[in-house]
Amino acid sequence: MSTILEALQYAFIQRALVGGVFIGCCCAFLGVFLVLRRLSLIGDGLAHVGLAAVGLGLFLNTQPLWVSIPVVMFASLWILWLSEKANVYADAAIGLVSAVSVAVGIALASVGRGFNVDLFSFLFGSILAISIHEVFLSVILSIFVIGMVFLFYHELFAIAFEEEYARVLGIPVEKINKILILCTAVTVSLGIRVVGTMLISSLIIFPAITALQIARGFRLAMLLAAVFSTLSVLIGVFVSYVADLPTGAIIVLTNFAFFVLTFIFKKMTQ
Amino acid sequence: MKKVIVSLLFGVGIYLCIPCCTSCRQSSPPTPGKFQVITTLFPLYDFARQIAGDKAEVSLLLPAGVEAHSFEPRPGDIVRISKADLFIYTGPLMEPWAEDILKGITNKELIVINASADILLSQEEDNHNEAHAHQAEVSTLDHEHEHGRQDPHIWVDPVLAQQIVSAIADGFAAKDPANKDYYLANAKAYNKKLADLDIQIRAALEKCSNKTIVYGGHFAFGYFARRYGLEHLSPYAGFSPNAEPTPRKITEMIETLKKAGTSYIYYEELLEPRVARIIAEGAGAELLLLHGAHNISREELEKGVTYLEIMEGNLERLKVGLGYHG
Repeated sequence: MSTILEALQYAFIQRALVGGVFIGCCCAFLGVFLVLRRLSLIGDGLAHVGLAAVGLGLFLNTQPLWVSIPVVMFASLWILWLSEKANVYADAAIGLVSAVSVAVGIALASVGRGFNVDLFSFLFGSILAISIHEVFLSVILSIFVIGMVFLFYHELFAIAFEEEYARVLGIPVEKINKILILCTAVTVSLGIRVVGTMLISSLIIFPAITALQIARGFRLAMLLAAVFSTLSVLIGVFVSYVADLPTGAIIVLTNFAFFVLTFIFKKMTQ
Repeated sequence: MKKVIVSLLFGVGIYLCIPCCTSCRQSSPPTPGKFQVITTLFPLYDFARQIAGDKAEVSLLLPAGVEAHSFEPRPGDIVRISKADLFIYTGPLMEPWAEDILKGITNKELIVINASADILLSQEEDNHNEAHAHQAEVSTLDHEHEHGRQDPHIWVDPVLAQQIVSAIADGFAAKDPANKDYYLANAKAYNKKLADLDIQIRAALEKCSNKTIVYGGHFAFGYFARRYGLEHLSPYAGFSPNAEPTPRKITEMIETLKKAGTSYIYYEELLEPRVARIIAEGAGAELLLLHGAHNISREELEKGVTYLEIMEGNLERLKVGLGYHG
């Protein structure tokens, strides 16, 4: 207990907790819908798109974030378009878009005439090195994303389970899908800057699948996903502090432990 | 509408690529008559440039601003190496990719200089109590493991740099025996400057009250620290820039800084100093650059920065951070 209090005195630990929890909740809320829509790998795919943005940043000589947000948004719409209109399965669409992006990014980076800093290091953050500015960004992002989810809750819910039925009910399926995917794009492009690629993709997938193991209702699933995500960030930061291990890896492993526990719980209660 | 946008973007992308591929790839076409020297890292490039004078054309393989550890050669680079007369690299630890390329090159005329061949690479020092506990993080990848155990950053020590210069000069002499005396004289003159730098650093650091370099990146200055009797502290376990520091290491650094009353922490060139910034902020310290000279930025390249200038700049900032009292 005293170690935890000791850790809390440091500003960087406080920022890791606050930034991590907010980004984690965003990912958890979106993750429930994305996992049900078979789009769970989109976090990983869009993180790769960030590479293309780095390449573009070389040419435009700007802040990587201002390039990566629009590029990642465009890529996410492209994934949606491929999976809805071009008869490509969602997983293949994600693979296609991320492969093209990585290729474009590498090609652009290598034809550039050299640059002033290693931009890759600017694009990919680490949870221990969150700036106060980034904490504010992640809080604003969470308010925005959670607001969107509440606003369109019924529509998202209907589409997540039965798209055809939602269409019959007169829900503007395409518009709602676009909103979901654009929220994901913004979350991923800010998230890789704040907490890094590995954490973003695992925070989208894990809390959602863990919650869906045991939750009976959809509201409960979303609530549980947010709880699991928050707990994993808190436990991950403190355990990594006490055991002197890398924080990102411990958060992912904590998530995995939650999944295993809920899985066992489900099997036992059946 | 979307189709139009997609195809437009592709079109623009391709047109952006084509002129660049043809024009800036080969930034300067080889001048006939001069022999071609290719170097991997910036210090080698600078040394070779000093030795070559106007007799050879020296080029740097790494594009400006690319962090040396994350570089991957392009097919065009391999073609350039195979057409060159002399290839100079630091050694298999620093450039693991160079060995693979060299295996595939059939040019019998190419002379390869391994700058660290005659220098006994030092093992990682156990200067933190827990250094060995962290080995596991570093050893996840094969070449990381090697990089984590032996320190390849030989050029930061001006004395070892003189050995590198001599090795490069020998290579030039072997390739172009007609101008042997010219190269050896250039090397000798340059080594004199490096020896002066050594004396200058030694004199300045003796007048510094603090002997510990607090560094927020992967520590490339092991040879430098040993040469001048300095201690160093870094949150990273080894020399590898890819391992992630743990929260405990960062808090330890903050506490050490607070206790030592040092108000400066050094950060590495080209990378965003996120970890160094966190430590500096926690301890109320200031950030200072300690340029490892692996590579230089585009701006520095255009200004024509040299190894000597980088090291002199480092010395000025070390004087500030280590409490120089002249």
